[in-house]
Amino acid sequence: MTSFSRALPLCVIMMTTTAAHAQHDQHGGHDQHDQHGGHDQHEAHDHSDMASSPQDNAAPTGAVPMSTTPELEAALAAGGTPVVAEVLGVVCDFCATAMNKIFGSREEVAAVYVDLDTKALNLVLKKGHNLDDQTIEELAVQAGYRIAAVYRDPVLQGG
Amino acid sequence: MPLAALARPVSYMGGWTFIEESNRQSTAALVHYTPSPKWSLGLRSEWVRDSDFVLTAIQPTYLVKRWFGKDYQANVYLNGGFGVASGISGNPLSTTAAGFVGVMADWETRRLFAGYTARYLDAGHFDDSAMQIVRLGWAPYEGDTNDLHTWLMLEVDQRSGLEDSVSVSPVLRFFKGPALLELGFNLVDPSPLINFTYRF
Repeated sequence: MTSFSRALPLCVIMMTTTAAHAQHDQHGGHDQHDQHGGHDQHEAHDHSDMASSPQDNAAPTGAVPMSTTPELEAALAAGGTPVVAEVLGVVCDFCATAMNKIFGSREEVAAVYVDLDTKALNLVLKKGHNLDDQTIEELAVQAGYRIAAVYRDPVLQGG
Repeated sequence: MPLAALARPVSYMGGWTFIEESNRQSTAALVHYTPSPKWSLGLRSEWVRDSDFVLTAIQPTYLVKRWFGKDYQANVYLNGGFGVASGISGNPLSTTAAGFVGVMADWETRRLFAGYTARYLDAGHFDDSAMQIVRLGWAPYEGDTNDLHTWLMLEVDQRSGLEDSVSVSPVLRFFKGPALLELGFNLVDPSPLINFTYRF
């Protein structure tokens, strides 16, 4: 199944997220909601031993469509909140397994799916729960990977 | 030998991994635990067949550097091992201390793979050897998550102390979810190559 056929029709998360990979000391605040019309701005941690290239430090490629799986759809239908994160370095199923294990063990997460085609971590958070950007970054580091950008509701087109 | 580099020798935090490797020289099993995304600690048992000894060692592996890209990942690891070597199959030599040091590197996209690993083993009166392996791979298609991923690979190894120091093995890699299976055959020193990795 291609990423396009998996993508939710007209359900592209609007985002204004930026994702420069900043140094730790530039990490003053992760969530800068007010500066971006209510969306989250996120600056990924820089781990000097887990580097991304200058090219990859560029702004994210744009809105990433949320993948569809029965688990994600069921979690959304139950009132969950969608979050999509661009992930760097995800090239194989071991990567997906690692992310699934780490994020799937979190109480806040109702469903998780890593899509190798879109290079995206798809999360549905349980109703009434939240994972802030910094926590998502830290969990990705625990899995061995790096978040490039977090695309967060509130706006879903169509659906 | 530590081809574990070719199957990610450091897992996610809290993850366990089982690795089996069998090639023209030895058969090994490694179970490792990853307490941090930077390193893993494992128990290795390796039967070096032509020298009739078994190496049992604690094996730490350290991720020196990982490069991330939108379409690639690259890693450099250092590993080591310390333990004992014991004779088997009637080998009269006494058990002795043994250890090894190694370096591993890989670069991978969803369609291309390149890997290198090298190790120096000092097993006292049993063995004192070095090896290095280069592997190149190509995936004929891009499988998505949980699909069966198939790779065509070519491995060239150089092992000191063997009659055919350099050899070549074509390898088929099958990869699905947490399991990875490699089947190959050494064309120079006719023998099977069978590697298996499972990540819990």
